[in-house]
Amino acid sequence: MRKINGRVRTAFLFGMAVLFLALITIGGQVFAEEAVVTDFSRKNLAPCESYLFGTDWMGRDMFVRTLTGLSMSIRIGLLAAGVSALLALFLGIVSATMGKAVDSIVTWIIDLVMGIPHILLLILISYACGKGFRGVVIGVSLTHWTSLARLIRGEVLQLKEAAYIKVARKLGLSPWQIAWKHMVPHLFPQFLVGLILLFPHAILHEASITFLGFGLSPEQPAIGVILSESMQYLAMGKWWLALFPGLLLVLTVVLFDVAGESLRKLLDPNSAHV
Amino acid sequence: MKSRWISFIIATFMCISLLSACGSKKEAPLGDDHTSQQTEQAAEPSGEGAKDSVIVAMGPNSEPEAGFDPAYGWGAGEHVHEPLIQSTLTITKPDLSIGYDLATDMQVSEDGMTWTVTIRDDVTFTDGEALTASDVAFTYNTVKEVSSVNDFTMLKEAVAVDDTTVEFHMAQAYSIWPYTMAIVGIVPEHAYGPDYGQQPIGSGRYVMKQWDKGQQIIFEANPDYYGEEIQMKRVTVVFMEEDAAFAAARAGQVDLAYTAAAYTDQTIEGYELLSFETVDNRGFNLPAVPAGTDADGNILGNDFTSDLQVRRAINIGLDREEMLTNVVNGYGTPAYSVCDKMPWYNSVAEVEYNLEEAKAILEEAGWVLGSDGIREKNGVRAAFNLLYPASDSLRQALAADTQNQLKELGIEVTIEGVGWDTAYDRAQAEPLMWGWGAHSPMELYNIYHTLEGETAGYSPYSNEMVDKYMDDALAAGDLETSYELWQKAQWDGTTGITQEGDIPWIWLVNIDHLYWSRENLRVAEQKLHPHGHGWSIVNNVDQWTWQ
Repeated sequence: MRKINGRVRTAFLFGMAVLFLALITIGGQVFAEEAVVTDFSRKNLAPCESYLFGTDWMGRDMFVRTLTGLSMSIRIGLLAAGVSALLALFLGIVSATMGKAVDSIVTWIIDLVMGIPHILLLILISYACGKGFRGVVIGVSLTHWTSLARLIRGEVLQLKEAAYIKVARKLGLSPWQIAWKHMVPHLFPQFLVGLILLFPHAILHEASITFLGFGLSPEQPAIGVILSESMQYLAMGKWWLALFPGLLLVLTVVLFDVAGESLRKLLDPNSAHV
Repeated sequence: MKSRWISFIIATFMCISLLSACGSKKEAPLGDDHTSQQTEQAAEPSGEGAKDSVIVAMGPNSEPEAGFDPAYGWGAGEHVHEPLIQSTLTITKPDLSIGYDLATDMQVSEDGMTWTVTIRDDVTFTDGEALTASDVAFTYNTVKEVSSVNDFTMLKEAVAVDDTTVEFHMAQAYSIWPYTMAIVGIVPEHAYGPDYGQQPIGSGRYVMKQWDKGQQIIFEANPDYYGEEIQMKRVTVVFMEEDAAFAAARAGQVDLAYTAAAYTDQTIEGYELLSFETVDNRGFNLPAVPAGTDADGNILGNDFTSDLQVRRAINIGLDREEMLTNVVNGYGTPAYSVCDKMPWYNSVAEVEYNLEEAKAILEEAGWVLGSDGIREKNGVRAAFNLLYPASDSLRQALAADTQNQLKELGIEVTIEGVGWDTAYDRAQAEPLMWGWGAHSPMELYNIYHTLEGETAGYSPYSNEMVDKYMDDALAAGDLETSYELWQKAQWDGTTGITQEGDIPWIWLVNIDHLYWSRENLRVAEQKLHPHGHGWSIVNNVDQWTWQ
């Protein structure tokens, strides 16, 4: 049998991961109303054909509930990753091109944010922003940009010494023109991969904060809420309430990781010939 | 790629082992006892030879944070119960009438402003000092000044007339004072100080022997107790979450463990499920005034629930029996008032479930079905947001069931979990799923009586006649008369707070208090438990026996 080209295989993997995640996101949206329906005539059912993940103590279909929860996680993750990545790109470039003073301020902010335990910072911010959905979104968005910003800053510092950038400067281009025309295209692969790899973090943090009860109120389908509720029912032998949502969360996170890694392999010249 | 998978698997295992470590830690308080120096006196599983001790598991919230000081809520707090360590002047009997503990007689003056109570002269505190009327006066003056968890504003001053007589001078007539006297434990004046709660001395049935904070409290029988012989010489109370309590019972580590309706489909070998009726009710308020703002600009009232016919339709449109089956597996009774089965309860409050009539009431009141199945009247949608405390899954389920049932009526309910930090304020405009139930008619007053110049405290409502009956009830000369007036406040034939009246609150269910109990443990007869699934069960632990 002919060995499939590594690049094709990686691209295929990437495509499948993205497709699957898109399915979860859209599926969750479609079932959003179904997910909050309670029906006491079907409570505490173990997984079966009509309820793949079983039902909970209020007769909610755990499959749609999990799907909707994950869909929300992914959408929060999308927003958070987007905001974080843009913030990181901006601060990284500013820090590396605008001179010593700006650089030290930005690095100081990065150190400050990284110095506070992540989950603590998340709780503080989401609490300050009035808990609830908004608090979670703002909290997750504002705390994930640091490592990517640092990476981009390093990259830009290195670029600055590159011959073509120096030439561009001698030709009279302004720092912003250089940044936009010459640096951003170079940074784009880094940026894209960084963005995708932010997802798993953002999703897991969204799950943790809703698990701890700082985020959404319990009737809303969020993956953290589902998991924290299921804890109470483990002792009663209702294993399906924790197992399937947990597995699906892990799967989602792993898939994002796979997507990010595949993309990196495809874009990064060092590993382009897998 | 491969190494990633391996590290993922390792991480998963680490998580699992971490979780199981948490699980085993929970049971530590019991396990520790066997190995530490307390082996001798601490919780041992009661097998042979341990026929006069009992281990009871309660929820972590039951542990008295401020200790065993009545001024800081022990016995006389949000959840009332007998204080065990201290004696009280009166007691509530199983039928919730008043009996005597320390008191031998009580008289109230014609105007209701002075209560004279004589007490036993043969009672000593466990440090050997005699309990006199001055200790009683001291106790009441202290709780009046200090207590932030219970209301003592009706008392002006307590005075010891002689060694065995104490007079209570009231600030206002308060006919139900004996019910207050049943929950205030008498503390010794000579040994009371800031850390009394940690080192309580009383004259009650038990002495606190040991308190491992966050874990357990051990009580031992007071050898000099003046009352009936104490059967259970040692009582250990351990604090654990519901699932840990269940696990502890399954492991045979506790003799009696509190549990919830969700566990009732389980069985534990050697244990039976005890279910006690309660007045621990759940219900929601319906703001009875149209939406607006109060003097301070807070939002108050609700345009939909301010329609009396709407409230009546909701009251008979809810199938309480179905709710009981759905939410608590049948372990409860339908509730029609905040005080079902109490001596001051007016049984007129009881209503039949009748969906058709409920629909007819709404139709007649002009609430017409829209194309989406939800009613409407003059542009107001038949909809409200039902709040519930986010930490309470039982109330969440009740709210969800209410939502489902009211949909049949054409009323759209959305539910939302909230914290107690905002719940009280929001309940002024939106219905909230509450839990009440006390061994005192004062709760009727707190819920339905108009505050000065405003509406009632927890949900906007006001009715002059209802207010007047309750004021009269408090001013009544004796309890019997007051019961009658409390009943009239609920319904006097023309007005009140029941179905035919204003119905500003909808009561749904009384939740049975459930316990896993060793089969050979005989738990003595319980009076209807009040709100709070905690210390009430051990009110009469001294009379429990083993078979």
